[in-house]
Amino acid sequence: MDHEYDVVLVGSGIAGAVIAKTLTQAGKRVLLLEAGLAAGMALSPEPSYANYQRYLETFYSKANKATNGPYPDLPDAQSPDVLQIEAKTPYDEGYLVQNGPLPFASDCLRSPGGTTLHWLGNVPRMLPNDFQMKTLYGQGVDWPISYDDLKPWYEMAEYEIGVSGDVAAQVGPDMDRSNYGDDYVFPMKEIPQSYQDQVWMKNTENLSVSLYGKDYNVTCVSMPQGRNSIPNPAYRKTGIFWNDETKRLELAGDEPGKYEVVGAIWDQNTGNRCEGNASCVPICPVQAKYNALKTLKKSDHSKLDIATQAVVSKLLVNDTTGKLDGIEYKVYANPASPIYTTKVAKGKIYVLAAGALENAKILLSSNAANSSDQVGRNLMDHLVMLMWGLFPEKVYPYRGPGCTTYLPTFRDGEFRKDFAAWISPLDNWGWSWPTFAPGSDVSNGLAAGKFGKALRDSLADTVTRQALLHFECEQAPDPNNRITVSPQYTDLLGNYRPVIQYDASDYMRKSFEAAKKVGDQIFAANGIEDFTDYNPSDADYVTWKNRGYTFWGAGHIVGTHRMGSSPADSVVKPTQQTWDHDNLYLVGCGNMPTLGTSNPTLTMTALTFMAAEAILKQLEA
Amino acid sequence: MTTSRNYTDLFLPISAWLTGFDTTELQATGMTATYYATITTKNTASCIDDFFAQAELVLQEGGGDEDKTNSLIASQLFPTSCYNNLAQNIITMWYTGEWAPDVNAAPSLAEAHNISPNAYVQGLMWTAASTHPPGAKQPGYGSWADPPIGPPVDAPLTSISNAR
Ligand SMILES: Cc1cc2nc3c(=O)[nH]c(=O)nc-3n(C[C@H](O)[C@H](O)[C@H](O)COP(=O)(O)OP(=O)(O)OC[C@H]3O[C@@H](n4cnc5c(N)ncnc54)[C@H](O)[C@@H]3O)c2cc1C
Ligand code: SF4
Repeated sequence: MDHEYDVVLVGSGIAGAVIAKTLTQAGKRVLLLEAGLAAGMALSPEPSYANYQRYLETFYSKANKATNGPYPDLPDAQSPDVLQIEAKTPYDEGYLVQNGPLPFASDCLRSPGGTTLHWLGNVPRMLPNDFQMKTLYGQGVDWPISYDDLKPWYEMAEYEIGVSGDVAAQVGPDMDRSNYGDDYVFPMKEIPQSYQDQVWMKNTENLSVSLYGKDYNVTCVSMPQGRNSIPNPAYRKTGIFWNDETKRLELAGDEPGKYEVVGAIWDQNTGNRCEGNASCVPICPVQAKYNALKTLKKSDHSKLDIATQAVVSKLLVNDTTGKLDGIEYKVYANPASPIYTTKVAKGKIYVLAAGALENAKILLSSNAANSSDQVGRNLMDHLVMLMWGLFPEKVYPYRGPGCTTYLPTFRDGEFRKDFAAWISPLDNWGWSWPTFAPGSDVSNGLAAGKFGKALRDSLADTVTRQALLHFECEQAPDPNNRITVSPQYTDLLGNYRPVIQYDASDYMRKSFEAAKKVGDQIFAANGIEDFTDYNPSDADYVTWKNRGYTFWGAGHIVGTHRMGSSPADSVVKPTQQTWDHDNLYLVGCGNMPTLGTSNPTLTMTALTFMAAEAILKQLEA
Repeated sequence: MTTSRNYTDLFLPISAWLTGFDTTELQATGMTATYYATITTKNTASCIDDFFAQAELVLQEGGGDEDKTNSLIASQLFPTSCYNNLAQNIITMWYTGEWAPDVNAAPSLAEAHNISPNAYVQGLMWTAASTHPPGAKQPGYGSWADPPIGPPVDAPLTSISNAR
């Protein structure tokens, strides 16, 4: 058979962009199929600038600043939307069919560049113990690879994303210098910690808190971030290359002071530093924050064909060979019209990088890669519990990136046998997440009869003191938290919509109780007056020991096609080739067997570089 | 129906009393014309006529005295029952860039819009809180590591009495 492409790739988020860039730079011909609009794929200066300004204008124009707000809503390729999450299940009026018992509360973005357009950009690494949850704590599963296996790939991911941070500061349970190696530095220096963080730290650094009869020492660490700061002169790497001799992907270069900051896609000289727009979610106006279009732009475009408005619907599995013969996709001209043309793309190897929800959906729609019956299962997220209150002094929130400091104290420990671990970012954006502040402060002021100077003074007094403490609790894999498809639920193009079954286990609920006990002690030490309000009408309100807690989604959609060491209980091998079809690879957070307490994208990007090497090896064999 | 006259001369001073920002600060947003057009298109002419007739009386009777003017505003202009809630809508407009009745009537949060993109950017709630609107007027690399600089925005207002 005559294959036109070496690889047919689905999706242009960070996972897809890393594959496209790495493979084309190694001389392979790639076809990229992307569901989103052609306009969003512009990579040359004028059209990409014009398109991005449209996103920004849309962001300014919408009263609600939700994550997907700036970006086009495509009936032909819908995205889940946090504004569609209702406090009831079953609920099928949004894109996701929420069968509950709890609604799944995270979204992602179907657009060129994918969800990194509106991610925050926190990129801490996972901890070594996170890879052995079963062995050490009897929870979930172990990964088929170790932290040490992943270490060189983490370095590649940190190069690609352009991480700013201080390695020496990364100290906490199961984390110190040795996680990174003696001389390792991030490409750029740490993003300055906010003024508010410094106030937090006065009374939080080395605070002793007690939890279920045990004492813990709380510390505060600067957050590594995928946004531009000052290049670190000690950083020595200059690029990622496929070495044809050794057949290895290498992070090359050994020259200090050569790191080049990656600016906006429309202008390399824009966004060379984070400028403090404080809107990283949902849009960084200057693209100082990493997004996947930056990686895609670095591809060898003479080897890359891109089809946009191309929604993959089905994998064509050959029952005799067990291989894929092609990928079927539907091309639309108008994103709100049900009219489309069906096409088939062929390559030697196929790679799905459509995100954890859509990857699983495509596999389930095609009856592919599912001999383990694990496809769609073990859907995970960080369950975010928030606590909000007022500092006794002004700390001036709503400035700088969303998070510049985190508390690592409860990321690891024996307690993981009993309840979920969490990372605690200190949020820089006041109460905007739980209460829609400061707009709500204006309306509350009016409702209290305030106007004129009294209203202005009350905002000056309270909004400036808003504190938000945040707990991202590690959801353990549960086969019943899953996505399925059903002919009953399809979209405008006749593609399936994700049907979701989801709950928070006792292991999670106990962690809310634990986190709240810790948060109460931190608030008390800081003199913060608690205004936290968990309401039974909240979408994800749960109880534990007769007390109520509300959690929010983190946007960390993970685990729907996990990697493992056996085809009996996993979907992909450590190379991320599917066990069932040797010309099909899956990339993205769906591969992660467990979540750890890190935001998942850095780890996923490291895995994706591993997959890129495996694909190149297979193509060269 | 058009209003019996143009009230732009009253719109700024009464906005200053309602918002706590002086007329110079309000004008510096560049939104005055847009906002005046908003209130006149979103309300009946008679409502606008009656509101400004009352506003003019309040300013005259108040005579620039802060307590007196505020108490007149509280009883004559501010209550939700007065002039279709226009006074509160004006305050929300300057502070947030939203025309509140439109936002409240939107079929969903995703479809709720500000008066214009620039109305969001010029929202005064950000100034009141010593910050800037997310995504605009960015203060520059590292600025967030220090308390905000610039004139102390919560200092006593000196020029509010330039309302007539
Ligand atoms: C609000 C928010 C904040 C976040 N913050 C962080 C953070 O601070 N740190 C962190 O590590 N992670 C964060 N995340 C998570 C992070 O954004 C994702 O893990 C990451 O972007 C996923 O990348 P991906 O390439 O796998 O998938 P995506 O970025 O979702 O890309 C999938 C791509 O596939 C395309 N596609 C989908 N279906 C089809 C189809 N049928 N046919 C063709 N194309 C298709 C899509 O259009 C898209 O281009 C955040 C997420 C959210 C929502
Ligand atoms: S703080 Fe502003 S400039 Fe910096 S990354 Fe976020 S949005 Fe971009």
